[in-house]
Amino acid sequence: MKGYYDDLFRLCGFEDEEINSERSRIKATLEKLELGPEDMERADAWVREYHDISLAGVRKLLGAWLKELIDLVLAKEEGKKIVYFGFPAILGPGLMLSASSKDVFVSAPDMVLDHTMGQIFNKLTPILEAGEANGLPPGHAMCSLWQAKVGGVAKGIIPVPDFALASSYYCDMGSKADDLVTALYGTPIAYIDGIMDSKWGEFPGFLPDRVEYLGAQINQALKMGEEALGIKIAPDAWEISRESSRPFRDNLVRLVDLMKADPVPVSIVELELLEALSGSSTGRGIREGVKAMDILVKELDKRVRAGVGVTEKGAPRVMVRLGHTSDPRVTRVIEDAGLAVPLTFILGSFGGVRVEPKGAYNTPGEIIANYEMTGGYYHGTDAQIQFYEKATQIMNLDGFIAQYLYNCRPVATISHAQRRYLEEKTGLPVLSLEIDNFDSRTHSADSLRTKVETFAEMLRARKRSASQIDFI
Amino acid sequence: MDALLKLDTHLENRHAQLKALKDHGRKIIGFTAGGYFPEELALACDAEAICFIEAGNNTALMNAGGYTCRWFDPFWRSQIAYLTSGKDPYYNIADLIVVPVTDNHVRNFSNVLGYFTPEKESFVFGVPHVKDKIALDYYLKGITRLRNRLEEFTGKEITDARLKQSIDLCNRERELFRQISLLRKSGEYFIQGRDFIKLNHGSYLADKEFMIDILEMYLREIKETACHPKGGPSLLLTGSTLAHGDSKVMDIIEECGGNTVVEEFAECIRPYHETVDTEGNLMKNLAESYFMKRVCPGWFRPGTERLNLLIKLAKEYNVDGLIWYQLMFRESYKVESFFFPQMLKKEAGIPMFVVESEYDAMEAGPMRTRIETFIETIKR
Ligand code: SF4
Repeated sequence: MKGYYDDLFRLCGFEDEEINSERSRIKATLEKLELGPEDMERADAWVREYHDISLAGVRKLLGAWLKELIDLVLAKEEGKKIVYFGFPAILGPGLMLSASSKDVFVSAPDMVLDHTMGQIFNKLTPILEAGEANGLPPGHAMCSLWQAKVGGVAKGIIPVPDFALASSYYCDMGSKADDLVTALYGTPIAYIDGIMDSKWGEFPGFLPDRVEYLGAQINQALKMGEEALGIKIAPDAWEISRESSRPFRDNLVRLVDLMKADPVPVSIVELELLEALSGSSTGRGIREGVKAMDILVKELDKRVRAGVGVTEKGAPRVMVRLGHTSDPRVTRVIEDAGLAVPLTFILGSFGGVRVEPKGAYNTPGEIIANYEMTGGYYHGTDAQIQFYEKATQIMNLDGFIAQYLYNCRPVATISHAQRRYLEEKTGLPVLSLEIDNFDSRTHSADSLRTKVETFAEMLRARKRSASQIDFI
Repeated sequence: MDALLKLDTHLENRHAQLKALKDHGRKIIGFTAGGYFPEELALACDAEAICFIEAGNNTALMNAGGYTCRWFDPFWRSQIAYLTSGKDPYYNIADLIVVPVTDNHVRNFSNVLGYFTPEKESFVFGVPHVKDKIALDYYLKGITRLRNRLEEFTGKEITDARLKQSIDLCNRERELFRQISLLRKSGEYFIQGRDFIKLNHGSYLADKEFMIDILEMYLREIKETACHPKGGPSLLLTGSTLAHGDSKVMDIIEECGGNTVVEEFAECIRPYHETVDTEGNLMKNLAESYFMKRVCPGWFRPGTERLNLLIKLAKEYNVDGLIWYQLMFRESYKVESFFFPQMLKKEAGIPMFVVESEYDAMEAGPMRTRIETFIETIKR
């Protein structure tokens, strides 16, 4: 029998057979989330307005997030042992735990809530408020991603984890919020510690000590995971997990290539759905994501060949840090102002800029650490800015929207240096933009619009005058 | 107290003294607050070590706005302001700035130092956030690199004999702080909280041997003066940072009739509970004491060790309440302040009260009202 949710799920790329075979799970999930028929109607309108549903790949991607949501919400009652990991994800350990037992569910629940309760249902606020009331109060620049996680657990819509992998390699807030979850619910934690003590200008160099330390921490966390979950990590878990995520990574590289086109073939709103999924899921979400990407890459390829894009040909091209995780309107502001966004920092680290790993290591932890250290995340602020700088040529950029997250200290460190550095090194204009990437209540689309529009106008004028000079 | 007056005079002249030493070729090693820089290493290569502990002035925060956004702890934004101002006497006189990177607030400072003031010589090393053998090794490697850098920078070899001598000196200082602090526990002597803080702050700038004389003199004076415990509730004051120049909370507590009988701060208050072993491998001993044995600050994961220490201090010093001095945007402490009150109530049976600061003069009024009310409610 048809359910009140069928149309929305179909819009989000579910096949009829999938809806039918999963009907009871969908119903149970929506009940837990307190989502009724009116919510479906609202979500339908919201998705049609803010996502590019003319692309089947995008619809499938939304579906991949929904499938991850269902698995997450029902994990406990379906007898799974639950592991949450923190952001930004060093995914290797989570993938390995996930690959070692069918009974273990490993996910980043905050990202899942953002991309579903935010991007699809536009109902994230009550969850954020529950996070604020349970230890992460407003007015203190607390991480809103964590507010979603704590709020989700407090409201009982996502399960209390059996084990947590804390992102102690990057984030003070995350690890401390993991402590909060332990204080409230007794969850055991493995802190995957790392130390970002690069001196300014040291990257792409870094001490081998740092790989060894982070690697040892990952190995230790895996051992703790085995104990806490009562599982044995399969000897081939690392190979399996690498293989399972390889198609996703490969597709991201192909996508970055397609984004070099003018006009750019797809909105950064949709690319955000992709890049975030690769760091949030270790299970069905990522498998479904790969299928969605296969479709999307073909669709975008067609668009590129036909010269079709989401902004006008010749529109100024800017690089941004990332798209909004929960509110597509915030990301859209940039494209609505007539700017093309061919690259984000995250995509850049996949396909735009390559730093080769150094050294040879044997343990899974060290191999993962060695790989992670080649990205710009875990160093001084300068390492991150270098990724923007190097993208200038690759993507033929006209400027940067250099966002910084006000409520994420490791990213906020970039606030002032990135603007000056990029202006000096590339000669391109930079708009420094304070954002909250996970919560649009205070840093809304409207609050950013004037700044972005003014910047876009300036870039267009600059392009015009440059083309006149070329002509002369 | 004569000792405190003498310390004041010394500190008034300290900068001129450092300048004279510098003119004669002595290196001045500046280091950031947090307690992870083993001063012994600087002393062992005949350098002067000074810690950057000044903060509390809101104007500095505005000046920092040219280099960082405001969502960092005001103490570290103050450091950015003083560093970049080109006018701060201590930042200006330092030949080398050593930054033990702890959390992202310190990392932000370190980035500004590297990018906006590249002309300043600096050395950065990391402090792990967890305590285990791997972390201890990492810290040891960090301070070993620091030792090499100091030797190269000063041109003086750090021999075991010199290092032992410096450790002895610093141990003596720690031991004296401990003795003074413990006197407060007995309840027989009255030591004003602000005096203890003053000694601490002084010790971060003063000549080490002179400071030891001051501490010995202070200890004698306290024992000789027939001080009786003051009435009013006894308090434990804690937080991330209690900077020189940030006396508001302390002043208000005392003006409202409270007695700070013990304090716990990671930055600008010296960790004095542990001494460094002088037998065997001295570098390992330094790492053991500065990293492993020291009770961790609030940004450690988990923070349980510090929270347990607070409970222990609350019991041992028989306090009536705990004041949690929260600097804005220091998130590790803010999160803990949510779940710690229940633990404290359960384990020590006392209430906790949070006051927040952005080093704003406007805070004083509301802060006074709130602290006054808290003290009223806990008066026995
Ligand atoms: S504070 Fe930043 S790094 Fe930490 S969890 Fe939030 S967004 Fe991620």
